Amino acid sequence: MERVRRRSRVLDAQAPLKDLRDIKVLVFHPDNQDGLQLIQQLQRIGCQVQAFWPPLPVLPERTEVVFLAIRPDALDVNFEWLKTEDEPTLIAVVDFENPTIVEAVIKANAKAILPLPIRTFGLLSTLVVARELNVRMKEQQKKLRKVEEKLLGVQRITEAKNILMRMHGISDADAYKLMRGQAMSKRTTVEDIAAAIISADGILSFEK
Amino acid sequence: MSNKDPVKIGLLFSDSGATSTIGRSQLQGALLAVDDINKQGGIDGRELLPVRYDAQSDPAMYARLAERLITRDKVNVIFGCYMSSSRKAVIPIIEKWNKLLFYPTLYEGFEFSNNVIYTGAAPNQNSVQLAEFMVSNFGARVYLVGSDYIYPYESNRIMGELVQQHPDSKKLAEVYVPLTADFKHFQNVIRDVQAKKPDFIFSTVVGDSTTLLYRAYAEAGLSPKQMPIASLTTSEAEISQMGANIAAGHFTSAPYFQSIESEANRSCLARYNAGFGDLCVPNMCWEASFFQVHIFANAMRKSGSDEIAAILPFVLGSEFEAPQGRIRIEPSNHHTCLYPRIGIANSKGQFTIVREARRAVHPDPYLVTHSLGDWAARIDNLEI
Repeated sequence: MERVRRRSRVLDAQAPLKDLRDIKVLVFHPDNQDGLQLIQQLQRIGCQVQAFWPPLPVLPERTEVVFLAIRPDALDVNFEWLKTEDEPTLIAVVDFENPTIVEAVIKANAKAILPLPIRTFGLLSTLVVARELNVRMKEQQKKLRKVEEKLLGVQRITEAKNILMRMHGISDADAYKLMRGQAMSKRTTVEDIAAAIISADGILSFEK
Repeated sequence: MSNKDPVKIGLLFSDSGATSTIGRSQLQGALLAVDDINKQGGIDGRELLPVRYDAQSDPAMYARLAERLITRDKVNVIFGCYMSSSRKAVIPIIEKWNKLLFYPTLYEGFEFSNNVIYTGAAPNQNSVQLAEFMVSNFGARVYLVGSDYIYPYESNRIMGELVQQHPDSKKLAEVYVPLTADFKHFQNVIRDVQAKKPDFIFSTVVGDSTTLLYRAYAEAGLSPKQMPIASLTTSEAEISQMGANIAAGHFTSAPYFQSIESEANRSCLARYNAGFGDLCVPNMCWEASFFQVHIFANAMRKSGSDEIAAILPFVLGSEFEAPQGRIRIEPSNHHTCLYPRIGIANSKGQFTIVREARRAVHPDPYLVTHSLGDWAARIDNLEI
């Protein structure tokens, strides 16, 4: 089969495309030609679109993507819905790119930029890439939080082990065994036992 | 303003190169419509005057000639392009000068330009129907072979996805050959087909090499009764190149076949045969190229101008009694409501239509996930 090319396909890359027809998209853009073209192209793609201007203070439930016009006369991006854990994917619609506007775009934590005038070509990719980016960032934040907790736990366990080794004159391994035994009998985690030991040690040291 | 000057239109097809057979037929379809219109007194007394260039199946040439049509020949409307690469090359020019392009070719979807009218089938008007038919009649183990460019990639993505919705489905291979592939390429492909034994072959091989695929298949002694080739692009034109005996028994999904039994089709073919003879073999792209010139002429009669801003409102939503049935330009996406059909090639080099849509199917060029069964409610099963 030489001279015949085989394409290997990354099937996963299609996943973010699959639910485009189900997602709720909000357009915060003035009611003008650009706003209309943006809405029409989103409808061609098949998204469920609603448009408002000025932006709403509270988002309708299950809003996944927000197109937000950031303009010289609408620079305030201090929306409550941008500060939530579950923030939607934000795509900034801009017609200037002076530092004032760019700063507002950054502050709004936009995942993509849509420059005016609207061109139909490119909107689909922008939408999909921004959504994917948002999902990945949220996943990474979740992972990071877990890693931080884990790291803190490990630090605590080491500290608690040191306390036990000092108090009882036992080895590192025995100190850990002791804590694990306590955790099992009290049906809690080694991290919790470690925290209890550290706080008890603090109180005891204070009394000395 | 009573203006009796001719109305110049641009015809930009390929009379030479890899896709010249279809390109020539698209040109002939457009010229037949021009002839029709001029015989009826033109557009309010103004003669339609085609300015035509051979783009030689080369995207760069398409772009250059589109600009020449606009700047030197002063046309406001261009009819043309076949492969997606040629359309993509022309669109920036058309948009830059704010002119109008009528594109008479099936393509892979995912496009909208305010300056383009798309009159060929979108995937939801041919691929879904073909997958449904092949899977229910032959099985869901498919071998995909295509020319090496974007239309086959996307068509194969859709076909692979559709077929895989079926239990017991399997994509046995996805193979691409160059546009200029020779016979040896296809012998290799067919050897691989024989080893993998699919239920059917889905071919998105386009252009003049199509013949070679079917010939390699026939020479290997394979039987379309057991393992047919299904295609979206193999039309009467390709069949006349390869010979009816080689094509017989294979399937094509398209909105138009010469064998459609309608008055509009019969009279259109009769006019073509009387006036133009054997310059090309009428096929789906010929028909789209034919009816889109009429759509334009009818719109211009209403607008009085062929400037895009004036004429577009009359193009959008307009209907025409085309050879395939009454078609309509869908205003929301500039594509066309068409009639999906499945044909099996017969011993006369024509298609026997085995299924057809009762009503026009709406174009949905941005549909990512197609579903088997979508079309079932809307088709007539014509099999005996």
